[in-house]
Order: sequence, then structure tokens, then C-alpha cells
Amino acid sequence: MTEWAVELKGVRKTYRTGPIEVPALRDVSLRIAVGEFAATAGPSGSGKTTLLNIIGGLDRADSGEIWVAGQNLQLLSSGQLAHLRLQRIGFVFQTYNLLPVLTALENAEFTLLLQSVPARKRREKVEKLFLEIGLGGLEDRRPAELSGGQQQRVAVARAMVTEPALILADEPTANLDSATAISLLDVMEHLNRATGTTFIFSTHDPQVMERAHRLIRLRDGQIASDEARGRQGGVLL
Amino acid sequence: MTSALLLVKISWRNLWRNPRGTLLTVLAVGLGLAFLLISLGLLDGGHEQTIADGVRLGPGHVVIQAKGYQDTGSDELLLPAGVVSTIEGFVQTGTMKQVVRGVSPRLLANGLLSSSANAAGVRVIGVIPQDERAVSLIPQRIVEGTYLSNDRLFGIVLGAALARKLEVKIGSKVVLMTQALRQPDTETKNDARVEMQSTLLRVSGIFRTGLQSVDANIVYLPLFAAQKLLGVADGRVTQVALLLEQEGDSPLVARALQKQLMGASVEVLTWRESLPMLAQILGLDHAFNYIMNGVILAMVGLGILNTILMRVLERQYEFGVCKALGLRPRQLAGIVIGESLALTAISLAFGLALGLSVHHYFATSGLDLRWVFRTGLPSALVFDPILYSRLSLNRIVWSFSIVFMMATIISFYPALKAARTELPDALKLL
Repeated sequence: MTEWAVELKGVRKTYRTGPIEVPALRDVSLRIAVGEFAATAGPSGSGKTTLLNIIGGLDRADSGEIWVAGQNLQLLSSGQLAHLRLQRIGFVFQTYNLLPVLTALENAEFTLLLQSVPARKRREKVEKLFLEIGLGGLEDRRPAELSGGQQQRVAVARAMVTEPALILADEPTANLDSATAISLLDVMEHLNRATGTTFIFSTHDPQVMERAHRLIRLRDGQIASDEARGRQGGVLL
Repeated sequence: MTSALLLVKISWRNLWRNPRGTLLTVLAVGLGLAFLLISLGLLDGGHEQTIADGVRLGPGHVVIQAKGYQDTGSDELLLPAGVVSTIEGFVQTGTMKQVVRGVSPRLLANGLLSSSANAAGVRVIGVIPQDERAVSLIPQRIVEGTYLSNDRLFGIVLGAALARKLEVKIGSKVVLMTQALRQPDTETKNDARVEMQSTLLRVSGIFRTGLQSVDANIVYLPLFAAQKLLGVADGRVTQVALLLEQEGDSPLVARALQKQLMGASVEVLTWRESLPMLAQILGLDHAFNYIMNGVILAMVGLGILNTILMRVLERQYEFGVCKALGLRPRQLAGIVIGESLALTAISLAFGLALGLSVHHYFATSGLDLRWVFRTGLPSALVFDPILYSRLSLNRIVWSFSIVFMMATIISFYPALKAARTELPDALKLL
């Protein structure tokens, strides 16, 4: 029996600006299995980021059910959502979003610190991960002293280090050159294979879509197509 | 390192992301505290000096007079010699001996002082020279000649302005004319007033206090001569002035004397009661200073609020990221409050160092205000124009605490703003 990392049932979300209503998601239902390496694609305004925000508990749907790691997010308080994000979900943002006042190592161990993981264990985990994703020797550098690709790897390390059930990446390669983007995808795919962590990322980039094992295309807030292309298959309800 | 320590680290490092802004805030808050300390030091020092000079040119820290004298000013209300000796005996006992620095019986009356050139109405104060030296400021303000002494029974000491008016100098002869004081045992049957009395005196000293009302009106002569001139028998006096080691002991000493003199028809007054105008002026000065300091503190507070709020608003996106990663609202608020506290701590250290350094300078070298009062001191005030700063530990702790508390309270609003960072709006800012 398939175990679902994410399950959406009839999710709707409409943004309101004064009298104007902009539907972002219209009755979206979707299942993503544990360990999938899935991408959402679509033109601007198609609902990619909204979908990731709702799955990550950063935003709330107007209606429907969102199940992540066995919990219905619609029923959780904001404190419970914060706890779920800290314990079970990792985020990678388009603009890296490292804390500029912390070093690469401190940024990567930020979420571990919030989880009160002891110092030695924290350092061991981060250093191991840094070596694995090619950041060895850069531990003490501040974000401003790293290239875009290095910063995004640190962001991936920060998302991965807590061993979350799910990683959400919003256009992670959008600010990277082609070679760096491929290198980052290598890292993410390697981690996906090695740890079985579920990855969902949004993208415009055809080469990222190529690498996804499942490609969910959105248009006008609805799933236009759901294509399994690799080792795991997705399920469109 | 716990997550609390991480928050402290983030707060501290955030401070130095914009070092110029941080240093400007440190300067503003630090100068605010320094100004507070300096102004309180000069205020307290000035008041201390004013009180010290005021009581030494007037009735002392505590004065004992016949009941009703303060309200009527009637020179015919005198203290019996028995009361004087009771007071003198009491201040020699127990703790009083350590608290009281000097005791001086005085006889007061109005008179007319004439020289060969001119005449002027004067306030006559008869004193025991060696007792008065321990209480009054006048012996220290002699600019010509010497103060009264017990072996010169017909000497008189007067102010420089009066000496100029009468055109007298040291050794000049003057005639003091007074009306003898009416006393119960000298009253005639038809209540006729005793006639005018006069005596020849020789100027032994001229003083200058800088106060026109004192320098032009008051004359001192030996108590014995004054009693004789005014026809006062049995060692009666108008008042007994007490100078204390510390002004703060005045109410205590006054209460003890009231208890000691219970039954006698006397009034025991602290300087606040005997010099109500001086007390009111100092009170007003205090109030004005508090208002000034309040305005400065408000400006400093707005400076802190502006700095921290700007920093928070600039970092909405960053706070959004932190929140997305799992940082709780109270932890975000903790970062902002920590940042504000760190900023305040640096500012207070700077302000304390600056304020205490300037205070130390003014406490030792003084602040010379003579250029402000070139034309003479205001008649209602008595003070040395060189101000010496005085700061008690209480004042320092109070100033430090009030700035610290204000900065902490002010940081709550930006902290609340950070804690209320809305997801995902904050993440859409870039």
C-alpha cells in the first residue's frame, strides 16, 4: 500500500484585494508518495507557489483538506503549524534566504538549534552534509562571501539537516546559471535517493522539469497534467 | 549553544549590520543618559550649595523661636534664657552632638545706622561671635577688617553695599539707634513705649555675599551690646539657629527638639518652614528639571523606537523566512528585544562613562556661572556662582534604570510587529 507524503483533497484558495478576487487554486486534489522527486510547473500566476505555500503550512486554503505527514493542516493552529514546519518540512527558497549575520555552518544548523539538538551532534551532521554536497571548507563564511550556487547549497543543507519528511523548493534554480543549476539538482536528487526524503519543487526551467521524476503542470489554478517520468509515479485523484 | 543563545547571537550580530545607524543610536541614547546624569548632578549640587548657603546666611537648618515669631515677625517675641540653655545642653547629648555642627543664639531688631555722611535703616543681629562663626557664612565673607570678637564689645560688622552708602571704612564710627524692645516686666502701667536708644560702635569688618538684600541691610554686633541697646534683660534672645552636619537630618533634629521643649512657648522650624520661599524655588527648579529630563527622555525614546522599528520593517522578509523555518513568534520577538537590549546596554555604558566623567570634572573643578551673574545674583536666591556637581548612587541607579526601562518598554512595539509577521505575505516582499 502506498504511503502518502502529501495528500490534497478539493483545495481552493482565492486571494482578495478589495473587491477583486483572484482564484489561485481551484479544487486541486493531489497525492504525492513518500520519496517522490516531483516538480510543479506552469506559467506565472498558475498557482505553483500558492500550492507549495499551502502544502508547507505557510498559507491556509479556503476549503479542502491538506494532509502532510499524517496531519490535516487545516485543523492545526499556527503554533502547531510552526512545530510541523520545524520538525517535518524543509524549505528552499528562490532567493536562498540565508540569515546574513550567521556563517554557512550556523545557517545550516539553524533549524537543528531550534530543535535543541546537542552541539556535537549538530556539528557532526552539518559537516557530514557539507562534505556530501560540496561545501566542505566553507563552514565559516558568511552568505555574502559565498556564490549564489554555494548559498543555495547551504539553503538545501539547512532544509535537509533535520531529516524532514518533505522538502519544498520554490524555484530553487531561478537565480542560478545553467551549470550551477544542474549541480544543485544533482545534489537534491542525490539526497532524495540517499535519504528517501520527498522533494516537491516549482520551476519554470525546462532542465529542472527534465530531472523531475514526476511533473505536475498547473494552469489557472488547476492541474492541467500529471506526468510520471521516473522511478516513482504520482497519483492524480 | 541553546536556541536562546542563538537568538542572542543573532541579535548581537544584527546590531552591526548597520554600524553607522547603531553608533548614531548609541550616541543619541548615551548622550541622553549623560545629559540626565550631568543635569541631575548640577541640580543636586546646586541645591545642596544653595541650601547650605541659604541656611548659613539665614536661620540655620533648624531654628527655635518664640511661638508666633514666624508668622508675625514681631521682635518683641523673645525666647527666655532658660530655653536657650536647655537647647545648648540638649545638643551636647548623645547623637545630637554628632549631628549638630553649631548653635548660635541671636537677637534681632530693626534700627537706624548713621555715619557722618549718611544714614540707613538696618536689620540688627546680635550674636555671640564664636558661636556665630560655627553657624553663619558671614565670617567667611569678610572682605575688609575682621569679624566680631568677644574682646571688642562695640564692634560692628556690615555689608559692603551699606558701607559704601554710609561712606565708612574699617575703624569708622557709626551710631546705631533702635527702639528698646517692649517686654512684659518693663511695661509701665499706662503701656507707654520705652524711648529710643542709641550707641556708638566702630566698624570692625565689612562683608560681601553678593546678595544686595544682605549686603545693604544687615549688621552684626555682639549679643551683649545688642541686648544692652535693646534693653533686653536676663539673656533673652529672638532665636537659636542650629547648623547641622547634614541637611537631611533637619526634620529629625527638629522633632527631637520639639519633644525636648514640650511645654515651652516656642516653635521649632526646619529651614523648609523658616525659609519657605527658598524651599518653593528649589521645588520649582526640581519640577522644571524633571520636565526637561522628561522631554529629553521622550526624544531619546523616540530615537530608539525609530531605529528598532526601521530595522524590523526592513527585515520583514527575513523574519518571514525565520518563521517559515519554524521560529515561533515569541522567539522572533526575543530577537528584536535582544537587539534593543544590546543596543541599550552599549548606549548606557557609553552614557554612564561620559556622564560620570563630566560629573567628576564638575564635582572637582566646578561649573563657573559668574559670567551669567555679572550684574549680581537674583535677590531671592542665595548660592555660590560656582556650581559643584553632586550625584548620589541612588540618582545614578535611578537614571540608569529609567533609561533602561524606557528602552525595554519601547522595544515591545517593534518586537510585537516582528512577532506578528504574516506568512506568506512577508515572503512575497522580494
